[in-house]
Amino acid sequence: MANLNIDSIKDRKFDAIVIGSGMSGGWAAKELGDKGLKTLILERGRDVKHLKDYPTTNLYPWEFPHHGEVTAEIREANPIVNRCYAFGEDAMHFFVKDKEHPYVQEKPFDWIRGYQVGGKSLLWARQTQRWSDFDFDGPARDGFAVDWPIRYADIAPWYSYVEKFAGISGNKDGLAELPDGEFLPAFPLNAVETYFSKHVKSKYQNRHVISARCAHLSKPNQIHLDQGRGQCQERTLCHRGCPFGGYFSANSSTIPWALKSGHVTLRPFSVVESIFYDEQKGKATGVRVIDTNTKEAIEYYADVIFLNAAALNSNLVLLNSTSHRFPNGLGNDSGTLGKYVAFHNYSAHINAEYDGAKEWTTDGRNPAGGGYIPRFRNVYKQETNFLRGYAAGFSAYRYNQTTSEGIGDELKNNLKNDDLSGWKVGSHMMGETIPKESNYVALDKSQKDPWGIPKLKISVDYDDNDAKMKKDYVEQMTEMFTSAGFTNIKASVDSRAPGLDIHEMGGVRMGKDPKTSMLDKWHRLHACQNVYVTDGASMTSTSCQNPSLTYMAFAARAVDHWVTNKGKA
Amino acid sequence: MNRRIAIRNMALILGSVAVLPSCLNDKGKPVVALKHLKLDADQENVVNNLTETILPKTSTPGAKDLGINLFVFKMIDDCFDQKQQDEFMDGLKEFSAAVDEKYGKSFNELTPQERAAFVTGMEKQAKENRVKTQAADSAKKPAEPNKAENFYNTVKGQTVFGYTTSQYFMTKEVVYELVPGRYNAMFPVKKKATA
Ligand SMILES: Cc1cc2nc3c(=O)[nH]c(=O)nc-3n(C[C@H](O)[C@H](O)[C@H](O)COP(=O)(O)OP(=O)(O)OC[C@H]3O[C@@H](n4cnc5c(N)ncnc54)[C@H](O)[C@@H]3O)c2cc1C
Ligand code: SF4
Repeated sequence: MANLNIDSIKDRKFDAIVIGSGMSGGWAAKELGDKGLKTLILERGRDVKHLKDYPTTNLYPWEFPHHGEVTAEIREANPIVNRCYAFGEDAMHFFVKDKEHPYVQEKPFDWIRGYQVGGKSLLWARQTQRWSDFDFDGPARDGFAVDWPIRYADIAPWYSYVEKFAGISGNKDGLAELPDGEFLPAFPLNAVETYFSKHVKSKYQNRHVISARCAHLSKPNQIHLDQGRGQCQERTLCHRGCPFGGYFSANSSTIPWALKSGHVTLRPFSVVESIFYDEQKGKATGVRVIDTNTKEAIEYYADVIFLNAAALNSNLVLLNSTSHRFPNGLGNDSGTLGKYVAFHNYSAHINAEYDGAKEWTTDGRNPAGGGYIPRFRNVYKQETNFLRGYAAGFSAYRYNQTTSEGIGDELKNNLKNDDLSGWKVGSHMMGETIPKESNYVALDKSQKDPWGIPKLKISVDYDDNDAKMKKDYVEQMTEMFTSAGFTNIKASVDSRAPGLDIHEMGGVRMGKDPKTSMLDKWHRLHACQNVYVTDGASMTSTSCQNPSLTYMAFAARAVDHWVTNKGKA
Repeated sequence: MNRRIAIRNMALILGSVAVLPSCLNDKGKPVVALKHLKLDADQENVVNNLTETILPKTSTPGAKDLGINLFVFKMIDDCFDQKQQDEFMDGLKEFSAAVDEKYGKSFNELTPQERAAFVTGMEKQAKENRVKTQAADSAKKPAEPNKAENFYNTVKGQTVFGYTTSQYFMTKEVVYELVPGRYNAMFPVKKKATA
């Protein structure tokens, strides 16, 4: 323990503390810095500086020892993270390895994490869609979970605010179920994606195939250049970290911006163990950190604390913040802390071929990845035997195919003389799951991590609703593919554990009623109003849109609320 | 790019595979240092010669020129699991036995023409077996896997992978772009260069 003399307490006193420097924490820090608050960012992992710490970003395939493949030793030591599609020789240094940070799987759960400055914002697939009122209304209408304390109108201006700074590419599609944003030019659909889009529009009411909206600078504005970022070069090597700052990451955007304000200090290698609560003052007064290099415990103090450690770790921090007043975790008067965890379900796929549009192909690479099919089930009315719905990815591609038949000159010729394949099409489902009390995380009673913090125990599973939804996805997509004239249609469902979609949410949900929720409509703990949680932990329900844009908007909005209402809380 | 540089780079990136001068190789000891595979010098040379048979030096560099043989060892040693490695060793033995049965000598003692003839025969046979296996699949009777063919397919697969991702191939034979700097969603096929 550091010496608690008066001077060092002064040094360790800030206006605000942000826990976690990833997608959402970066936003909290940027906003606090911009508003002139003396802010400390605590990050458990190492520092990853934009440009400097992207060791593989410019490597050619042959410059990797195994030309991109993961060795058996690493695969065997990492059965969990190895399941993530982006875990390859080029990006594995940004993922948490299984042994480094163990957790307890009461039920199988693939917890995919990035512990470093920037968190998972270095690794994400950059898909960004707004939520609509159908999503925020959902629980109230369908009777699952509790009612959200906010609606689309509350968050819409904040979507605009973060979109302008982060840079989101997309088309104005004019869809009620997927509101338009402040877009940079979209990455266009290719010939067959366009064909399918037109087909779906003509044949189905309220079904759409649009260009995927993504956090890439297709055409940067001044605000992006001011961040030191440049136009996306369409490399699609984003998981390695982008030297152009072509996509949004905390590392290229919010964190350097926050540090430039002069008000923000970044402290990596600092695991937040708990937040402490002062009963006399009736508020949180600081946090206890374990320095991962020295194992030393240090306390930092602040007027306000933003908890952005990513959904399950934010649960962990609150569960581990116990006091006389909050014996079951900070702010946990409702008993809901750690419960109603939900996630996305990406476990069904479908592939096919298309014989037409032979005169067209593509040239270069599409960072957006292709098309997006917004949710079309149970939107305007409940029409199926399951609750909520799914979105889907859709893309079409041709590739240069070669054969490796023969040996010698025949083989050499075969390998260099490629032939353009016909069009292939593919889609994957992105389903909403229903938050249930029985899907929970808790502290393990006996096992601790290397810093003396209880390990997180995860108990999350699929249910009947997920199975029905998955079946419907396969049926509907098969029908849409068939009617579009696609052939050789092959649907596949896999039996992956929850978590692999990397959109785990909930446990510290928002709600109007302190008896059934943790956070109020400003993302403050109902019972401890100077602690804000604005990452995935706060989600009352999960929608089927990719979640990160919403976390960013929440973080910016919450900081604004604190700054405007400070002292009045 | 100068071919020598390509070769040198290949040797550099092969990291853990230490290549000793060949004069040391006179006691049946392998020259490549492997962590898991237990090969003697003869077996090692079977793989070396096989990669060179698949991808010989012609008017363009062959497997040995490009260090693809070393890449194949590295991949099987590092990226294959225990089971796959055991299968590889079993297959290597059956492959050698099949050569012995046909020619009365080892693969390493064959002339390059004989090696090519044997391998071509094996490719043909593998193709026929694939057709048979597919037929067997539909009859729900799994066909007996041929270990020698599996071994051959493994070496060929890794040789092709190493070659098509080598600096030589990606700079001299085709054009690989790390940074395209463009995305044309509607591109006429006619314009597409067939490199
Ligand atoms: C391969 C992949 C693809 C994805 N694709 C998409 C996509 O297309 N669209 C989308 O919206 N989302 C996507 N995601 C998910 C997205 O990355 C996350 O939703 C987002 O990063 C979550 O933001 P966050 O701030 O909550 O957490 P993170 O970005 O993970 O940041 C949390 C930070 O907190 C730190 N931390 C944790 N615990 C502590 C502690 N106790 N003390 C101090 N620091 C702590 C962590 O080290 C980390 O740096 C993807 C993720 C991955 C890995
Ligand atoms: S596609 Fe764009 S964002 Fe991704 S690595 Fe390339 S330049 Fe960077």
